[in-house]
Amino acid sequence: MRIAAKLPTGALEAPGGGIDEVDLTPVRTYWQLVRTRFLHHRLAATAVVLMVVLVFASIFFPIIGGDAWYRTSLKFGEHDPVSLIAPMGYDNIGINIFYRLMKALQTSLIIGGVAVLIISIIGTAVGAVAGYVGGAVDNFLMRVVDVVLSLPTFFLVIMFVAFLGSGNVFVIIFAIGLTGWTTAARLVRAEFLRLREAEFVQAAKALGASDRRIAIRHMIPGAMAPVVVAATLGIADAVVTEAALSFLGFGLLPPEASLGNMLTHAQDYFYRQPLWIYYPGITLILVVIAASFIGDGVRDALDPRQRVEN
Amino acid sequence: MATYILRRVIQAIPIVVGISVLTFLIVYLTPGSPVDRFRSPRVSAEAIAALIRSYGLDQPLPIQFFKWFTKFWSFPWDPNAWGFSFVDGKPVRDTIIARIPATLELTGMALLLTVVLAIPIGVLQAVKQYSWWDKIITILETIGYAMPTFWLGLILKQLFSIQFNMFPLFGMHTIGKTDLPDLLWHLALPVATLTVVSTAGWSRYMRASMLEVLRADFIRTAKSKGLGARQVIFKHALRNALIPIVTLLGLTIPTLLSGAAITEAVFSWPGLGGLGVDAVRDRDYPVVLATVMIGGVFVIIGNLLADIAYGYVDPRIKY
Amino acid sequence: MSFAESVSPPQPSGPLLDVKGLKTHFFTEDGVVKAVDGVSFSIGHGQTLGVVGESGCGKSITAMSVMRLIERPGKILEGEIRLDGRDLVKLTDEQIRDVRGNSISMIFQEPMTSLNPVFTCGDQIAEAVAVHGAVSKKEGWKRAIDMLQQVGIPDPKRRAAQYPHELSGGMRQRVMIAMALSTNPELLIADEPTTALDVTIQAQILELMKTLRERNQMAIMLITHDLGVVAEMADDVVVMYAGKVVEKSDVATIYETPHHPYTRGLLASLPRLGEKRERLEVIRGVVPNPLNLPSGCLFKRRCPYAMPICDTAPPLQDVGRGHVSRCWLTPTGEPPAVGSSPTAEQAEAAAVALSVAS
Repeated sequence: MRIAAKLPTGALEAPGGGIDEVDLTPVRTYWQLVRTRFLHHRLAATAVVLMVVLVFASIFFPIIGGDAWYRTSLKFGEHDPVSLIAPMGYDNIGINIFYRLMKALQTSLIIGGVAVLIISIIGTAVGAVAGYVGGAVDNFLMRVVDVVLSLPTFFLVIMFVAFLGSGNVFVIIFAIGLTGWTTAARLVRAEFLRLREAEFVQAAKALGASDRRIAIRHMIPGAMAPVVVAATLGIADAVVTEAALSFLGFGLLPPEASLGNMLTHAQDYFYRQPLWIYYPGITLILVVIAASFIGDGVRDALDPRQRVEN
Repeated sequence: MATYILRRVIQAIPIVVGISVLTFLIVYLTPGSPVDRFRSPRVSAEAIAALIRSYGLDQPLPIQFFKWFTKFWSFPWDPNAWGFSFVDGKPVRDTIIARIPATLELTGMALLLTVVLAIPIGVLQAVKQYSWWDKIITILETIGYAMPTFWLGLILKQLFSIQFNMFPLFGMHTIGKTDLPDLLWHLALPVATLTVVSTAGWSRYMRASMLEVLRADFIRTAKSKGLGARQVIFKHALRNALIPIVTLLGLTIPTLLSGAAITEAVFSWPGLGGLGVDAVRDRDYPVVLATVMIGGVFVIIGNLLADIAYGYVDPRIKY
Repeated sequence: MSFAESVSPPQPSGPLLDVKGLKTHFFTEDGVVKAVDGVSFSIGHGQTLGVVGESGCGKSITAMSVMRLIERPGKILEGEIRLDGRDLVKLTDEQIRDVRGNSISMIFQEPMTSLNPVFTCGDQIAEAVAVHGAVSKKEGWKRAIDMLQQVGIPDPKRRAAQYPHELSGGMRQRVMIAMALSTNPELLIADEPTTALDVTIQAQILELMKTLRERNQMAIMLITHDLGVVAEMADDVVVMYAGKVVEKSDVATIYETPHHPYTRGLLASLPRLGEKRERLEVIRGVVPNPLNLPSGCLFKRRCPYAMPICDTAPPLQDVGRGHVSRCWLTPTGEPPAVGSSPTAEQAEAAAVALSVAS
């Protein structure tokens, strides 16, 4: 850790007094502070570890498992006990459940990540334009936000997916992205309204910087903090939405692997294979918990004023 | 107050038009058509064309929209105003009205239980912050909040219907029975599913709200007056901590009708949510449109009610 | 009969409030903060004590300790707080509630946030009355209006029915005072009562407090960082620094012959009328980190007189009649008799010898 001497403001002005006092409290940069605060948030730090494990597993196991996630075999849950190769056994058509689960996790994380990226991009763009241009444009965009917010979101997602083609990953990402950007847009707009009056933006204006340059170079970075927080928390929502879609039969359909359609499938084996509904369910909960805690940690680290007691 | 409500209603008009246009566009501009499912070698092209005509799908889109929009909003008392289902040909309005009681029984009961459980839990947690009780409940809340409703529904079904055979697997009534105990028996698991998830969220919110209020300067004032812990907590703190809960209630009102689609699907509950999902699946456009419209209008009503209630609970807000 | 005109009970001998060796520490995640560390002072009946110091010196925590309003992670570790001879530290929660708002009332710095936004001003005053005397709602309300009148709020009937947000900051502080005095307390603790107010309003509030002090014959513990306010109001002064009392005396002595270099610094930083100075003096440096206090004298890093002996904690020594100061300098301001750089043992012995019983 960098240790720097902090000069008390009074020291320089003290008549006749030299700089004889050194306070050894370390001075840290903004990002060092953010990192320290984040790591101080024990739950968030643990959640990062959990998320890294989940991401790693979702990349690693589908690679070493090859096509095991959809390849059928003559092994069945009932008479082939769990083994090192199949720690969760085989399903009714002989597919290795563990590999299928890892593939499903991969799909979920990709859908969650990309959807949140789209949400952030659309939200930032709309919010930035509304907040920077203001006036009639702002008014119109905010009414659009009101309209989208008034619609039942999950139902809208179902409509998009059902009408544009069930079972398509891109459609699912598109549907989640297109319905979820409103919160980000409002956050960015609010930050822009605040930053528009900030001194450094006024200074850039006085120096003759163009509107576009001011917005992109000076204001968007300043407005990103709440978007980053919303995006991290949004991963959980996106993953659950995808699972729900697939569970209801609108999302990914077998043979594609999804946590949602694995649950639908497991539902048919309620009596003989009760564990089958726990595998995808607990995986889903782990993803959601990890994303929410990381989101909480990021929020507390970026803006300690918003700290929520935990 | 009356002028305030009037102003809000007028402000809501463009939003209602907006959600109408947007939903209509999504429904009618996406690829595919409701007659697709009738297409087969055994159905003649003429029959399909007749079907398209009878649905009104042959007319230009703006005309279709205009006809639907004016009819939908001008004559809600007319049973035919919301059109007829493409699937069973019945008036959409009647179908929807018939589904409302089942949904309200489910969501209303869950909301009631949530409020009754979550507020005391959150208050107790805040008052006993740092205690074991607070820590354990916080962990349970985190898990409950992270649990997708459909998964929780499945787990409850497996545990209480299959393992212990205490509650029915699905449906609203045992065939041939319509009495209250039977209904409650069928309600237990779906209501529990919704209640667990929303109680987890609400009590977290209540706890945070209460903690914030307990740190306020006026709480210190109340204590310095010599008030007992009970008066400080239940009179001075709770009254303030409940103010943000009113917003939550306003946001929840629309989900009374539309929010339980997934739970309804898991338990085959014959409510509005399930109707909407089925209608999307069947491309039953009039039913889809009506369902979304009702959802949207309830969001607007919920927000309005929340704002009005705010004026009553928070003296700082005047209309 | 009006409360205000009632005759105060025969006064027992001895001070009204006597605080001895009070230690209030906070056990935070980062370490123990000794917010109040061995503080002693007393307030006589009807007297006003000014408690002065920079923010974070422990003056507010001292006041909260007297009210027994310290909460986790804070704790009163040691000491006595005697009110008319009764030790408040030893009272049960039930008993201390009867003292709060009854024998001792408190007003706070932030009139904007110190009143509950969802109850009317009248309700909040009436509640204070009702807690300590079985009075009817109607009587409580009447008392509230009477109190609002006493604190100089025009149209008290209408004001009583209003919510705090409908009143200005100065008005709200008057409501706070009305609430605090509604039970005729023997002691009023005022924690920076005028800091958040405009200068003209400040003067009005101080004037009001003076008037009410005379009328009710109550004692005041006035916490402030503003030496001007102290000069105007107080009989005695306690100067606190980093959780300890560094100087204590009557108000005239402090202003005329301050002893502790910190007090001198505070006084030197005040602008004075009719005195031409190039610049105001400042105390260099900042208050030490409460988690990492220096050994020896807590002020030594900022002190222009710092000597090697200051590495040993200085005694609270008698420097005049009733005038004590926590500094090694002799009463006349010379280095101590033991020399400016004695051995640690010599310094310890000198500290014990000089120390006054506190």
